[in-house]
Amino acid sequence: MAESVTQLEALVPPRELRRGPQTPYQRGLGGLTDHLTAMAEGKTPLWWWILFIPAAFCAAVVLPSMLAYLISTGVGVWGNNVPVAWGWDIINFVWWVGVAHAGTLISAMLFLTRQHWRTAIGRAAEAMTVFSVMCAGLYPAVHVGRVWFAWWLFPIPLTTGMWPQFRSPLMWDVFAVNTYLVVSSLFWYMGLIPDLALLRDRAKTRVRKFTYGLFALGWTGSARQWHNYEKAYLVLSGLATLLVFTVSSIVGMDFATSQLAGWHETIFPFYFVAGAVFCGFGMVLVLLIPLRKWCHLEDIITPRHIDRVCKMTLMMGCIMGYIYVMEYFIAWYSGSPYDAWVFGHRLFGHYYWFGGWIMIGVNALLPQLFWIKKVRQNLKLIFVIAVLINIGMWFERFTIIVGSLYQDFLPSSWHPFYPTWVDACTFLGTLGVFFTMYLLFVRFLPMIAVSEVKAITPQADPHHPLGGAKGGQP
Amino acid sequence: MTGRRYWRSLDELSDTPEFKEWLHREFPQGASEFNDPVSRRHFVKIMSASFALAGLGLMASGCRRPEEELVPFSKAPEDGYNYGTPEYFATAMPTRTGAIPLVVKSYDGRPIKIEGNALYPGGNGSTDRYAQASILNLYDPDRAQRFTSGGKTVSRDEALKALDDLSKKFAANQGDGLAFLAESSTSPSRARLQKIIRQKFPKSQWFIYDAIDSGIHQRAATQAFGQPVRPIFHFDRASVILSLDCDFIGSEDGAHNHIAGFVKGRKPESNRMNRLYAVESLFTLTGLNADHRLRVAASLVGQVAAAIAARILNRPFTVPAGVDPKWISICASDLVANHKRTLVVAGQRQPMEVHLLAYAINSALGAIGGAVSLIPAPEMESKTYGQLAKYLDAGAVDTLVVLGGNPVYSVPGQMGWAKLQRKAKTIVRLGYYEDETFEISDWQFPAVHYLESWGDAVTSDGTLVPIQPLIQPLFGGLTELELLARVAGETQTNPYDIVRTTFASSAEAWKQFLFNGFLAAPAARPVNAVASAPEVKSASAPSARSLEVIFCRDAKMDDGRYANNGWMQELPDPITKMVWDNAVLISRKTAREFGLQNGEVVEITLNGRKVRGPIWVQPGMAEYSLGLALGYGRERAGRIGTGVGFNACKIFTGKHIETGATIRKTGETHVLACTQNHWSMEGRPAVRESNLDEFRKNPELAREMHEKEPPVVAPLYPNPLDQAEKKGLQQWGLVVDLTACVGCATCVVACQSENNIPIVGKDQVLRSREMHWMRIDRYYTANPARETEADSLLKDSEQQYERWIDDVQAVNQPMLCQMCEAAPCENVCPVNATMHDQEGLNVMVYNRCIGTRYCSNNCPYKVRRFNYLDFNKRPLADLKGPFYPTPLLHLTDGKWDLASWWKNPNTSSMRPEDEWDLLKMSKNPEVTVRQRGVMEKCTYCIQRIQRAEIAQKVKAGPSGNVRLKEAEGTIPKTACQQACPAQAIAFGDISDPDSTVSKWKGSSRNYAVLGDLLTKPRTTYLARIRNPNPAMPDYHEPYSTGEYEKHGGEFHAVEKGNS
Repeated sequence: MAESVTQLEALVPPRELRRGPQTPYQRGLGGLTDHLTAMAEGKTPLWWWILFIPAAFCAAVVLPSMLAYLISTGVGVWGNNVPVAWGWDIINFVWWVGVAHAGTLISAMLFLTRQHWRTAIGRAAEAMTVFSVMCAGLYPAVHVGRVWFAWWLFPIPLTTGMWPQFRSPLMWDVFAVNTYLVVSSLFWYMGLIPDLALLRDRAKTRVRKFTYGLFALGWTGSARQWHNYEKAYLVLSGLATLLVFTVSSIVGMDFATSQLAGWHETIFPFYFVAGAVFCGFGMVLVLLIPLRKWCHLEDIITPRHIDRVCKMTLMMGCIMGYIYVMEYFIAWYSGSPYDAWVFGHRLFGHYYWFGGWIMIGVNALLPQLFWIKKVRQNLKLIFVIAVLINIGMWFERFTIIVGSLYQDFLPSSWHPFYPTWVDACTFLGTLGVFFTMYLLFVRFLPMIAVSEVKAITPQADPHHPLGGAKGGQP
Repeated sequence: MTGRRYWRSLDELSDTPEFKEWLHREFPQGASEFNDPVSRRHFVKIMSASFALAGLGLMASGCRRPEEELVPFSKAPEDGYNYGTPEYFATAMPTRTGAIPLVVKSYDGRPIKIEGNALYPGGNGSTDRYAQASILNLYDPDRAQRFTSGGKTVSRDEALKALDDLSKKFAANQGDGLAFLAESSTSPSRARLQKIIRQKFPKSQWFIYDAIDSGIHQRAATQAFGQPVRPIFHFDRASVILSLDCDFIGSEDGAHNHIAGFVKGRKPESNRMNRLYAVESLFTLTGLNADHRLRVAASLVGQVAAAIAARILNRPFTVPAGVDPKWISICASDLVANHKRTLVVAGQRQPMEVHLLAYAINSALGAIGGAVSLIPAPEMESKTYGQLAKYLDAGAVDTLVVLGGNPVYSVPGQMGWAKLQRKAKTIVRLGYYEDETFEISDWQFPAVHYLESWGDAVTSDGTLVPIQPLIQPLFGGLTELELLARVAGETQTNPYDIVRTTFASSAEAWKQFLFNGFLAAPAARPVNAVASAPEVKSASAPSARSLEVIFCRDAKMDDGRYANNGWMQELPDPITKMVWDNAVLISRKTAREFGLQNGEVVEITLNGRKVRGPIWVQPGMAEYSLGLALGYGRERAGRIGTGVGFNACKIFTGKHIETGATIRKTGETHVLACTQNHWSMEGRPAVRESNLDEFRKNPELAREMHEKEPPVVAPLYPNPLDQAEKKGLQQWGLVVDLTACVGCATCVVACQSENNIPIVGKDQVLRSREMHWMRIDRYYTANPARETEADSLLKDSEQQYERWIDDVQAVNQPMLCQMCEAAPCENVCPVNATMHDQEGLNVMVYNRCIGTRYCSNNCPYKVRRFNYLDFNKRPLADLKGPFYPTPLLHLTDGKWDLASWWKNPNTSSMRPEDEWDLLKMSKNPEVTVRQRGVMEKCTYCIQRIQRAEIAQKVKAGPSGNVRLKEAEGTIPKTACQQACPAQAIAFGDISDPDSTVSKWKGSSRNYAVLGDLLTKPRTTYLARIRNPNPAMPDYHEPYSTGEYEKHGGEFHAVEKGNS
């Protein structure tokens, strides 16, 4: 006996290599269910109302009034002008698309690579993806001069015989963003089905039972259903992973296919994917650090999860740094005086030099702090860094879009760009939409994938001392 | 235009009341509304021109076609009147010392576009800015539209009766106490009426006043040569031109004629290329185009002139401090060397002695009879406001008749004209606006526009031209001639009859006169005379304590008469590129000395009178010199012009150059709007220049200034044009000759007029949303040795402190759609709204455009303009940020916009009805008025191309000869090309090797802007050749070339296929 114990111990990896459990949650699966559905089933906490009311105000009052003002009055209510025909509209579009990326990446790619830690944060990140794609999609739709004709962007066979122009990257964008929205929504919703059924089964009122039941699509949890579910999930995650790359590549091509110095770069597709994932990880951290505390999920979303996201962020930050260096190298190596001008002026320019410094400082240099373990464990500091990363990535888009447009080829047409209050309020409105939807999601749906988390608890492992049907506490 | 007169029934012939009633009720739509004040709509009133058929004889119910016989110009349809076919009428726009012969296009009774009369022997079919913009004044909603007495509206009959009473009253006392204050005019009819008045009322007085005194050339010539003569300057005959502060290219009267002549003598490929020396203080268009420019205070120009005169006459001379004597002596030697082919001109703002000196030099060099010809001229009325003031002050004026002009605004401020004028017992005023003078008038008669009235005028070279109306007066109103005739108590008061009587020749000759638009008469015999050099009083140089002030004619406002003209307010000043403002122009050093920067409001004190205005640091200005443009600061101009800029007339004393001014900071600031913020070309070879001697050695020099091109690889997509081209009958192209272009900006206004381009207001210009399809880029180039690397890292607002701006060269570049064969705008449009046609045009489909604006981002020339805020439908007041009224909440004329839109989305607007109705009339029906949210740009005037192509197809019939050919004269002209006084634009078929445009493209000077981007533009440029004198101390290669090299530009041998 003693011998066998020794043998077993010999199989255990050394301490520094030993992985802890995916979750420190030690109680039984029933308790886990209670715990994970507490937010969706319990009383609405005060913090939720404090956040929800302003967010809902922005979403329901500020954004609609800004859009009504914009559409009734004209794009001129924004700060766009003629050298800078794209301003905050496209900056925010690209920024929201970027935010959207981490969710799918975490859910789908980490699913494919069997990274089990993703289960704790996957659902929350996917929801973030869906809501931010919605915000992103809003901008191209309303930024056009004649919104009432925006449907001409879609290939609809009409008697006029008019057809979109497929050479235009904006056309590719329409497909990319819409596909991404559809697939990521489906992916998110599919993952929700077992948990919706769970909520249905636990519902105490008829309304809840009916509503959850409606969306649970008759899920019974039979083995056949699980079998199909797993297959479909695998397929969708494969699709979604591809889309992570295509959508941002195409957003990058919106710029790269142009003539403009500062846009005309083959590195852009890769650059935009990396930037998007980077920005998305930043947003994941911004959302999860407070939520795990307020929703009492510290034992599900553990510092180890945060640590891993930090490491991913660090990697993306390094890639950003590499790209920034490459951009400067190419600008110099091309010998183009226009490129030289644009890139010189990003850092030392007439107006927007701060954008360049913020972009390099925050996106490439600041994440280097994550090399330090203490930083990766200091949640408050991580939160601050994550917020800064989101701001830095916003400025990166600002620098790319405005910084390249305002001083282009002929100096006679150079003109700076100043945003207006409508630009700011519209952005605030989209932030309101995002947070409103996110808060509703947190309040009414399980923000942790219950079935998935259960699968990685020690209790779910038949070989674990606590696992199997025999042990564990209820 | 009245066709043959048919009657519809015998009832009509007998003109019975029953028939009138029937006509009234049945046929003309809206006729009954005329008499119903409640439902009468403004629009119906003024648009009646459009539905009153020619020959119907319904004048009483509002037909706006003139009754008298007009002779349409040659292009009129042969079989009567065709709707939708434009007609052309010859007329003329009177100016101060001449007239511009015009051919005006009229659509359905509405004048739409003004062109120069190409048949007129003294012109080349071009016009000036003012003529192009004047058509907008016709449709100005703020025009005087009523007869008033004491500010109250009276009926026309009452007002005319008052004139009759006036006439009777003065007939009794020989006109004692009757005074006229008129603007200068060349009208023979007015002169005739004036003579009649003088006979009838011998004691009446006649005064002339113009804030801009263009008559000085004639007065000076008369004085210099001792007989009444008028000088005509033939710039084309001169090889060396010396301008003594004479902005003959910019602000002098008849500038477009001067430009035509100047450019004619400036052909680098020929043996003759003239050389221009300019001595000036303000940086003017003349200085910009000069080969040598001497920057000197305007008050010292006389001494420079005296020095040059002395040098020519081999007398000892002194030069003012700071002027290089070598400059003077070599310039003088150049003049002497080219004697008989020289021309010295003095500016209208310079005092008499400088003019006399100029004539003396011309005389000494034998230029009289060569580049200057003198023709006999009637003596000019010399009495002006000064004498009138004395009469008024003495209470000797019973009735003052103010004919046009706006003396309360424009008479020098020291006179206190408002109070003086009030000393007359009765003030009768004929005015185009209810302006500042309206307030101090007892009777106001609305004046008519020259396109609404009969008249005549004499051009600056002495040719008689008719002024024929194209439309009946929109708001009633009188011409100057009619008013004078009525005051004179003449029985003949119809202006047509007055002009016809003055013309006094056969009906056939009259018809021919109207048809041609000028009287082909033998030119007046030039007079030969000699002038001697006068003594020049020595003037002291201006200093910080005693600054010099130059009052100049504004390139846009003139003397304030275009203040309510939106096109003019929004036209960038040719030099400063400023819009919607004037400023105190000052040199960098002087500004530094006073610690001033752009936009700071200063108070200028001159002779104890003060005015406040914002500072603008102008490169190339002389030190201690302040440039103030007249014509701004109108207090009562209308909805466009009121309160724009500051009124320099407040310190104006009648002398255009004065010293002794001081300035003081006020601590206030004023935001100035310019359409071009960046001054330097940053070494980019957008404008390529070369000196003549260099150009002769290496004609390819300009083309070699080509940025490195990327290697051509197989394109991802084949260019659709490659296939489409084969189907095109013509291949359109355009070339701008930068040697010829002087930057006068006539093309910009012509384009605005032709293509229905809206104005956007100052606030929108500050946001860089102006809509001009064509702009003129003006770059200052500097001695590369004086520029530092750090200069290019400064903000635009800090350019004013940079050292290099003191002595600059400047270049112009008209920038319009380049019609790239590989257009970057096309492949980024997601909805195919911009694409190529088979004739090489990059066409813009407004109906399809949804406004993603990517095309603008991807256009390297930034010639696409986006309608951000419904600029057509919004009044100016609603175009000021940060809160633009939304139609959801806006009321127009008391009606809710949203409700009007719901009723009829196509006609609702946010403009008040009067403004909106006139705006609609003023639009060119051949060009779409673009909605908001749509991208727009230059089309090479595709409407003109289409009209020409259709006409050719109709003409060709079965012969199949549908191709337009320059040799056959069927190639249309673009609006900019037609208006250009310098003939700097060639447009045509590049697939026809004999076309002008092909020949220009074959020139060694031809290059494509940003050709290194491989956009293959169809619009190309001919490099600018300067002709400086190698012997001069300030000889140097064009600064732009040095800048190019300094920024790392290299010269590449010209490859095939480039540009």
